[in-house]
Amino acid sequence: MGGTNKESGHPAWRHLNKLSIVLFLVIWELAPRAGGLLETFIAPPSLVLKTLVEFYKSGELAGHTAVSFFRAGAGFVVAALISIPMGFLLGGGYRPFERVVNPVLGFLGQVNPFSLFPLFIIFFGIGEVSKVAMIFWVSFWPILFSTMTGMKGADPTLVRSARSMGAGVFTLFFKVILPASSPAIFSGLKMGAGTAFFMLIAAEMIGASRGLGWLVWNSQINFQMPRLFAATVLISLLGLSINGLFGVLERKLTGWHRKSLDGVR
Amino acid sequence: MATHGDGTHKEDLKIVLKDIGQVYHLKKSADGSREFQALKDINLQVRAGEFVALVGPSGCGKSTLLDILAGLTRPSSGAVYIDGKEITGPALDRGIVLQGYALFPWRTVRRNVEFGLEIKKVPKSERRGISDHFIRLVGLEGFEEHYPHELSGGMKQRVAIARALAYDPEVLLMDEPFAAVDAQTRETLQDELLRIWDETKKTIIFVTHSIDEAVFLADRVAIFSSNPGTFREIVEVDLPRPRHNSDIRSSAEFGWVRHRIWELLQSRPSQECREGGNIVVKDAISPSATI
Repeated sequence: MGGTNKESGHPAWRHLNKLSIVLFLVIWELAPRAGGLLETFIAPPSLVLKTLVEFYKSGELAGHTAVSFFRAGAGFVVAALISIPMGFLLGGGYRPFERVVNPVLGFLGQVNPFSLFPLFIIFFGIGEVSKVAMIFWVSFWPILFSTMTGMKGADPTLVRSARSMGAGVFTLFFKVILPASSPAIFSGLKMGAGTAFFMLIAAEMIGASRGLGWLVWNSQINFQMPRLFAATVLISLLGLSINGLFGVLERKLTGWHRKSLDGVR
Repeated sequence: MATHGDGTHKEDLKIVLKDIGQVYHLKKSADGSREFQALKDINLQVRAGEFVALVGPSGCGKSTLLDILAGLTRPSSGAVYIDGKEITGPALDRGIVLQGYALFPWRTVRRNVEFGLEIKKVPKSERRGISDHFIRLVGLEGFEEHYPHELSGGMKQRVAIARALAYDPEVLLMDEPFAAVDAQTRETLQDELLRIWDETKKTIIFVTHSIDEAVFLADRVAIFSSNPGTFREIVEVDLPRPRHNSDIRSSAEFGWVRHRIWELLQSRPSQECREGGNIVVKDAISPSATI
């Protein structure tokens, strides 16, 4: 890591990463114009941008994005609200019980929600709830597992020290265990949010009438390449923003963690 | 367990350890459960304001005894009395300083020092004054808003001491507090501890595996023998106070006491936790005991 720091310090190197994006865009722009099959299948960035602007003006962009965000957000928030307390109970509570249920949880965590989609439709219908349930499913497990890890990883000497000062269960939880496990919980939330958004697009592609995933799917079957590309680019940018947002939050809330790790090295 | 008539109510006695024993039940798959006697017949009376050091082989009961004193572990037999009252759990009349600092990495120096005060429900306005005082006492003014990862090992231990002192316990329990810092910092911290002890008049129980440290700091040194952990002897250290690291270590008396303790520790060598002959036993004795 020290090497990259040095490199990024030099002005010429600092702009190199931007250069790669420019280069990528140039090739993307020019390659389809060379003609042949590429022209029919790949929309150049200028056209994508034009389509996005049209989307924006017609209000379509905001509509589909809002629908997608609502689904992803609802599934994610409900998952977090259930999995974090559950992780605390399983990770900090009765160990033998955890040992018994852990294999089952591990297995369930690996169950792909697409195989469960028919079940979700049977239970929740073809409306919003089945899609939200799917997002819930994919973001639930990473948050649960990392909360459990965080609970188990809480430094026992910190607990011992707090207990020696007469800290009760309540204080111990809120002032020691919760902050100590917050970096792990946060990385779970980050992973969960990323997966939620990623999976949402897929969920919308198989059963929705609105949303960004539906937009991709609809463009696909109508063979509208600029629209397909515009939706794909938009989705990627939104995914990047979600990652970025969680990165900022993580630094703000649990910055002490990264720094204390650096201090050890 | 009688609390009367056994001397526990004498005015100047701060801590009384009476017939402390600690037995661990080790579960072995083959021959059923086994017992391991970690502590046996521990008796000690500590006067108010006294400095007592516990030395002995590593991992053989010192830290367990400290846990019992802290109220984190209940002894299998016997009892601990502080001011004539039997202790039943952790409380703010005892402060503890651990080897690994155990500072909360998400809290600044000030907020670490104030932790015990928060538990004690001291109002925020008063907390600041108290933490200011103790941060100054350990010589860390200017570092109030620093996080633990920004401090050196010696500074972290100062914070831990300030934190333990801040809620004003009468007894300070220290579990190999200076084991993780370099030799020079260690001597500085020892000098500082004696100065703080002199200023605050606390009763201190200090666990260490360094004979030098024990002799330099303590009024009395209790020598542990292991398996089962019990006091072999308690040696008075009659060195004049105030003591300073620069001159006392070269004195003949220091050398004499040091040698005597060394001999006592050597007289039954390598008995360290042989019972059971595996790691499990050692873990059972005290998870916190290292080196």
